[in-house]
Order: sequence, then structure tokens, then C-alpha cells
Amino acid sequence: MQKFKLSYIALFAAFALSACGQKNKPAADTSAKTDTTTKSDASSTVKTILFFGDSLTAGYGLDDPSEAFPGVIAKRLDSLKLPYKVVNAGVSGETTAGGNSRIDWILKQKIDVFILELGANDGLRGISPTETTKNLQSIVDKVKAKYPNAKLVLLGMQVPPNMGPDYVNKFKAVFPAIATKNKMALVPFLLQGVGGHPDLNQPDGIHPTEKGAKIVAENVWTVLKGELDNTKAVY
Amino acid sequence: MDPVNYKRKINVGWLFNMAWRDSRKNRSRLFLFISAIVFGIAALVAIYSFRYNVQNDVDSQAATLIGADLLVSGNKPADAPLKKILDSLGDKRSTERSFASMAFFPKTNGTRLVQIRALQGDYPYYGTIETTPIEAGTSFKNGQTALVDKTLMLQFNVHIGDSVRVGNEFFEVVGTLNKAPGQSGAMAGIAPVIYIPMKYLEQTGLMKIGSRVNYTFYYKYDHPVDMDKLTKKLDPILDKAGMNYDTIKTRKENTGRAFGDLGRFLSLVGFVALLLGCVGVASAIHIYVREKIASIAIMRCLGVKASEAFLIYLIQIVGIGLIGSVVGAALGTAIQHLLPIIFKDFIPFTISVQISWMAIGQGILLGVIISILFALLPLISVRNISPLNTLRMSFDDAGRPRDPLRWLVYALIILFIVGFTFLQLDSWVGSLFFTLGILIAFMILAGIATLLMRAMKLIINSGWSYLWRQGFANLYRPNNQTLILMVSIGLSTMFICTLFFIQSILIGQVNLSSSGNQSNMILFDIQKSQKDAVADVTRKQGLPVLQQVPIVTVRLEQINGKTAADLTKDTTIKIPHGVFAYEYRVTFRDTLSVSEKLTDGKWIGKAEAGKDVPVSVEENLARRANLKIGDKLVFNVQGVPMPAYVASIRKVNWGKVQTNFQVVFPTGVLEDAPQFQVLLTHVSSNKVSVAFQQAIVKRFPNVSIIDLGLVLSILDELLSKISYVIRFMSAFSIITGIVVLIASVRISKYQRIQESVLLRTLGASRKQIFAITALEYLFLGSLSALTGILIAVAGSWLLAKYSFEIPYSVSFLPAMVLFFIITILTVIIGLLNSRGVLNKPPLEILRSNA
Repeated sequence: MQKFKLSYIALFAAFALSACGQKNKPAADTSAKTDTTTKSDASSTVKTILFFGDSLTAGYGLDDPSEAFPGVIAKRLDSLKLPYKVVNAGVSGETTAGGNSRIDWILKQKIDVFILELGANDGLRGISPTETTKNLQSIVDKVKAKYPNAKLVLLGMQVPPNMGPDYVNKFKAVFPAIATKNKMALVPFLLQGVGGHPDLNQPDGIHPTEKGAKIVAENVWTVLKGELDNTKAVY
Repeated sequence: MDPVNYKRKINVGWLFNMAWRDSRKNRSRLFLFISAIVFGIAALVAIYSFRYNVQNDVDSQAATLIGADLLVSGNKPADAPLKKILDSLGDKRSTERSFASMAFFPKTNGTRLVQIRALQGDYPYYGTIETTPIEAGTSFKNGQTALVDKTLMLQFNVHIGDSVRVGNEFFEVVGTLNKAPGQSGAMAGIAPVIYIPMKYLEQTGLMKIGSRVNYTFYYKYDHPVDMDKLTKKLDPILDKAGMNYDTIKTRKENTGRAFGDLGRFLSLVGFVALLLGCVGVASAIHIYVREKIASIAIMRCLGVKASEAFLIYLIQIVGIGLIGSVVGAALGTAIQHLLPIIFKDFIPFTISVQISWMAIGQGILLGVIISILFALLPLISVRNISPLNTLRMSFDDAGRPRDPLRWLVYALIILFIVGFTFLQLDSWVGSLFFTLGILIAFMILAGIATLLMRAMKLIINSGWSYLWRQGFANLYRPNNQTLILMVSIGLSTMFICTLFFIQSILIGQVNLSSSGNQSNMILFDIQKSQKDAVADVTRKQGLPVLQQVPIVTVRLEQINGKTAADLTKDTTIKIPHGVFAYEYRVTFRDTLSVSEKLTDGKWIGKAEAGKDVPVSVEENLARRANLKIGDKLVFNVQGVPMPAYVASIRKVNWGKVQTNFQVVFPTGVLEDAPQFQVLLTHVSSNKVSVAFQQAIVKRFPNVSIIDLGLVLSILDELLSKISYVIRFMSAFSIITGIVVLIASVRISKYQRIQESVLLRTLGASRKQIFAITALEYLFLGSLSALTGILIAVAGSWLLAKYSFEIPYSVSFLPAMVLFFIITILTVIIGLLNSRGVLNKPPLEILRSNA
């Protein structure tokens, strides 16, 4: 159990004004614009997907932060020619309390899809699930207040079994509860198929490798695609 | 009368006989010389013995940092081939699995994050798991029982006999865990430890797929093993398996520089002891043999061959050297045994007192070899002493013409010093440099002595009063002692002073968390809105807020317009990728902290609105990212690009428990950025710690607390031991140095007797002789002490810079005090030396010392 720099869960609130759509049209490899930029250089039709999370979002330990799952998704959006811009607002070590304080700064930019990936660090520090729930709810409330039309996605997280069955179960239950209450799309477990597989994780056993991040992105994409607006979809 | 047969065979028996007979002539004088050797060797043996013992003590304490000879750990179970290798290591093995879990205390209904350590085997092999009651440390492995960290016991009001639930199983608490080997690192701080026996681990139900567990294997070797070789072999295998190893040595290295400093300091002490021994023995032998030249000339007149004379005195010297060294070794060992008993109330730890045969052996060998080598110098000239020398009184010049054998002896002496230095330092380069340093010091002292003699010859004129003329003339007249006293006083002063300087510099480096108000508890993840309230609670608990800093996470996006993407495209850009991938934890403030020092540029504490932000970059980061003053940077402060430039470069002392930063922003830009606060405080006891943690957790459940008290207390114990050892060894060596110095000045006793007696016979008053002697010694003492101290200033600077690599600072006051002490000591001994002459009728002295 190493440093406290990680996190696992994510909630994903995507907010798009139109219907969902998914396009499979492979495009030439264009490097994705992953990083956060406030300059809205793009035309007004480009919408913003904001990933708000911890080290899993930030890409802790990866050579290039754009290899983290938001970056993978950005590349996918790009290759599908979907008019979305990805903003990675992940900070390693972030807890739900930290996220709750930080969210105001982040909400200065217009958001169409809000993806919430926080809680893992709470779990690793043994913070009470009640506290985690409270903070997540507060974050969601703030997003809703500012951008009532934004789509919300919550990325679910779990703590490893060694934490003890009581805590594991209470913690796991936090995410479906928040999602249901706020009518958010839910990825049940962000690290499905990655957590516990040594080959897909960095040596610390917590953070996915580049390969792991692709699977994580797939987990997210399955849910996220339903929240995207496919007006320009070219099937 | 038969003609002398110079072809006669050497009669060994007769040589020994002559050596013995010659020594009978003046036993009291002989005793004086032997005593100088005794002091020199006693100093050496005592210092060496202490050194070996103390080194062993510290080493065995260091072993408790890890508790075994070798530790292998990883966060995956070992696969079959690896397991086979792991099982082949060590003579005794223990395994441990450790992981974070939520422990539940039914009595108080409390839940808390803890670190579970499931142990199997007899670990620890060094040190003990310290518990209350004591026997619980080993007996807990016998049943479904647990040891619980002291703070945890207090926090949840748990008592021996209560139970704790780990996973699905209840364990009876049989002991309070006070201290355990190998308990260090961040995890030990963030979560208190609970030990359970390994055999009950499976049924807790916590070992499932996805569980994050650390697997640790402890090994103990019953026979000596070359760990470096072993780990070198293991390294690639373990590395491939994603496992790490730790040995006592690596742990010591990671513990900080204290061990290295101690090692280097002890080497220095060993070297100084060696030279103190040399000074003691060499000066005694040198003067002794010089005095014998007259006797040798007489023997030659009576038909003794030059080679025979040479051998007679060589035998005598070996005898003297051997007796002196053996007695010295015995005395040194006695001191080593007695001192700790006498001072046991002052020394806060026990020094083990084992007889160190290594020290004794080295002492005796060294005594004899130095005796011979330094006797050889004057004895070589014996070969050239013609019987005529008896009649001429100027034996000073005997055999002066360049004698190649002399150079051979010099070479031997140097070789010998390098060799013995190597025994102390274990490094040829170091030995060469140390010897070179001593040679230079020696030459400076000898040069100054020669200059002094020349200058005196020129300066003294008849205008001076008789006493002054006489006193100063003694410095250059034949049979003067300027050179030998300058060198021995100067060198001893230099050693004493160097040890003192280095000692005080090293002690200044040791920061104990218990001393002063060093932080031992860290609160983090405090939200901005909680900032004042948390500080408030801290103060209300009577605890100091040692530091409270905001931390903002930023990323570096551009350096002089280059981005991470540019790096991938253009491989000629000399910026490592990590510089952009890294998330920087930065802070903002308007002043430098005490642990920081500007090395370049200008510190700007406040940002001007609308302009690029002046930031301060830490030295290592600047080097890695190739940053210079004025370089343009663009930071990404969680979505907001912030143009900045490198305004200054700082050096940061990372060794202390406090917040340090790679990048520091000025005030005025990041105040509104997302941030959390870190608060550092000092708690004095477990009780205080528990009360404080409870108060914080209750009001601020999101705040995490790291209690470094336990980790630091183990380190503190070690560091304070090390610093006491350094103090003790330096104090002891300094005192020994002074004793050796006294002894070597004391042997000049007979040099001046004849003249003093003559002066008295001619009608000089006691007062006049007193004044003449005092002047001579005052001048010699002060000049050589001054030279010695100056050499020490330079020497310790070099040592600090190149050997210890620590900032140099010199305290002049103690140096001044030392200067006066040595000067006064020299004068006092000089006067004591001539006391006999002053108090007795001249004839009596002439008869007894003829």
C-alpha cells in the first residue's frame, strides 16, 4: 500500500444536448487534443467533455498523460469525427473532499458532459463511505446548479477485498446510490477487467498501464457513447 | 694489543648484551622515552578499540531497522520457480503479508484503517517486537491473538483481553505494540499496525483476487555472507519478478547520511589515532637515538664496527618499542574498559567493551614498526660516525651528505603510513590523499620551523636584552628542538582541531525530531474552507502549528515554447519526458523558507498582475529540465494556462520533515486555484497524538493524518546514538591527543639541562633561566599551535567539502581557546622540564645526568 496518490472511481456525467450516437468510422490517426484548454478556439458546435477525477484520470505514472483513459477516449472521438473536446481535470491523490473544493474552479468553463471519477483515494484512506457520499453529492449538486443541461456520468469504484467485507460493500454501494438519486449514467466498476491483473497495472498494482488504460476507456465508452450527441454522426 | 679484526663474525649474544648494558646507563631517562611510546600506542589502541566496539554497536542497532539480514518484498505472490529460489535463501526464514484493512473494535464500535501484518516464523532476528507485556511479542503467534499498536489501543480504549475483528475473524488482543523492527516508511505512519499470526490469515477472508497485499520474506544467515555479492546475483531475478530487496546496508543508506557520516568520521578518528601514535613514538625515538650518537662514537673508538653499533641500537630500539607498545596496548585496553564504567552516568547508551585483538595487534605492530623506522633515520648515520666525532661536539652534521638510504627510509615511512591508513579507511584513494595531506602539513610545519630558525638568526641582535637573546637563540642554536617540537606540537594541534571542527559540523547536521520543535505529525487534504478551523483545533489542543502551507497541483505545459508533443517529434530537444508528465505539487508564498537557499537569480515574492509569473525552481529540477534563469514556462493550473518564467533557482534541504517544493510560486496568482492545505505539528506523546487525532477526525473526516512519531522515534534513537558516538570519540581522541602532545614535549626534558646547568654555574639566577626557558617554549608553542590550527581550518574545509560533502562552517572561538590551551600547556611542560635544574644545586644535576 503505497503512497496515496491514486484513485479509482469515476462517475461520468455527460451532458449533451442531443441524442446519443456512436460512430465507428475509423479515421486517419490524428493526435487527440486531450489537454485542458480554456481557449475556445473551436467553433461553438464543439462540445466539452470534462473528466473530473484523480490519478486514474490524470494518468499517474504514464509516460504521457494523454495515454490515460480520457486521452484514449479523446482519440476515439477524434477518429470518429465527433464534435467533442475532452478536458482532463484529473489530479493525482484527489479525494472527494478535495474535488468538492476544486469543482468551482473547474466549472468556470462550459461543460456539456461531466464525468465524475472520484472516491478511490477515500477508499484507500479508509474514509467513511457516508463522508464520500456526501462529498460526491455536493459535487453533483454544484455541477447541476451551474450547468443544468450537462449530462452526468458517474464512474463506479471498488476497494480491494483486503479492506474487509463491511467496508468493501458499503463503499461499493455508494456509487449506484448516487447515480440513481441524480439520474446519472453509471459505469458500475471503472477498473473492470483491469484491477487485480498485474500485467495491466503498473508495478504499484493500482494504476493501469497504457494497455490497461485502453480497457478502462472501453469500460467508460460503453456507457459514455449513450450520452453523446450524434447529430453529426457518420455511421 | 691485538689488532682489531674487522672481519670478525657478528656475535649476536654480545649485541644483545650491549643493547642491554647501554640501556642501564640511565633508566629514568629511558623510562621517559618509553612512556611517550606508551602514551602514543595507548591512545591508538584505546581509540581503535572504541571505534570497533562503537561501530559494532551502531551496526547491530542498524540491524533492527530491518530485523533480518535480507528482506525480499513484492506485491505479488511468488511463482513456483521464484519460490524455489526464495526458499533456498538464508538459514532462518520468516514470511509476512501486510495489507491495509478496516479493523473493527466491538467494545467501542470503532472502525479504523489499519495495517495488518500476518507473520510466520521467528522474525525479527535482530531487535524484538517490543510489547506490553513483553512476552506477547512472541507468544501472539501461538493462538488466534493479535498485537495492537499503542495509539490504536488508546484511541479505541482497547485493553489486553479485548478483541478486534480483522475481516471475518475475531482476534484476542494479547499485547500492546510499542515498537517493531523494520517499521518505517509512509504506511507505518498513515495506518497503525496490528500483528496477527499467519496461520489465521486465510480464514479472515481478506486474501481474495484483487486484494492488495505485500509479500515480505525475511532471511537470517547464521554464517557470514557476502551480501553485496548475493544481492547482485538476486537483483535481476527479483527485478524481473517485480520484487525488491533490502539489506541492513541498503536500509542504512536509505536512512540518511548519518551512518555514512559516522563511518567517515570514525575513519578520520582512526587515521588521527594512527598519526598520534606515530607522533608519540617517533618523537621519542628520534630524540633518544640522537642522544645516543655520542655513545656510539665512543664505542666506535673502542673498536666496535659500524654495523655492530647499528645492530646494538636497533636491538635496543626494538626492545624499547616492543615494551612501550605492549604496555601501551595494555593501558589502552584498560582505558577502554574503565572509561565507560567511570562515565556511565554521562553516556546515555552502553558502549560494549570487548577486547579488540585487532586494535591491540595493530597497536603493537605499529609501535614496533614506527620505532624501527624512525630510529633508522638517525641510525643510518651511525654507519658514518667516525670515532673522531667523540672529540668534535658537532654530531648534528654527522652523516648529513645525501645518503640514498635515508630516502629509502623516508619512502618506507610513507609506504607504512599509506598501508596503515588503508587499514583504517579501506580506500586506497582516500589513504593516498590523507597521507598526502599529512605530508603537506608536515612540510608546512617543517618549513615554518626552518624559516623561523633562519629568521631568528637574522633578527636577533645585541640590542636585545640578554634573556630575550638567549631565549630566541635557543631556537636555532645547535642541538635545538625547534623542528621536532614544531612538528609534534603542530601536528597534534592540527589533529585535535580538525576533529573538533568536523565533529561540530557533523553534529550540526543531525536533526532530531524530538529535539526542539521538529514536526512529527502531518495533516493533509485539509480543504481551504477548513484551513483556519483545523489550525484552531490544533492550537486548542495545545499543539504548535509548525507549518501550514497551501498545495496546488499544476502541470508544466511548455518550456520556452516547447511542449511534450514537440519532444516526441524532435529528439534533439534536451528535456526529459517526465518533466511534462509529472504533476507538480507547488505552493505560493512571499518568502523563502529556512530550508531553502537561493543559488541563482532573484527571489520575487509577489506577482504583478498581468505579467508573467516569476517562479522559483528547485536546483535538481532545474538541472533535469535544463532550466536557466529567465526561461519561459507555461503551467497548466488545472485548466488555466499560466505563463511564467524562472526567476530564481533554489537549493532545498530535503532531509527534514517539512514540506518542500520543486516549484514555488509568488503570492498573488494561485490564491483562488484549487488547493489543499498541509499542516505540520509536533505531538509529544501517544496520548496527545490520540486525543488530537480524535478531535480532528470527528470534525474533519476528510483530513488524513500521518503520525510519524513512531518512525521518527526509532530514527531518533539511532541518530542520537550516532551523534553521541561522534561526540564521545572526538572528545576522547582530543584528550588523548593532548596527552600525546604533553608526552612529546616532555621528552625534550634533557635537551636543555646541560645548558641550564652551565648557565647556573656561570651565575645565572633561577629567574633568568626560568625566563629563557619560558620564552623558548612560549614561542615554539604559540607558533606551532597557530600553524596547526590554520592547517586544521584548511584541512577540515577539504574534508567537509570532499569527504563528508557537507557545508563548511568554522567556529573560531573554540579554535582560539585551543590555541591558548596548547601554548600554555607547552610553556608549563617546558618549565616543568627545567624545574629540576632550577631547584637543585648544579653539581647534583651534572652528576646524575652527565
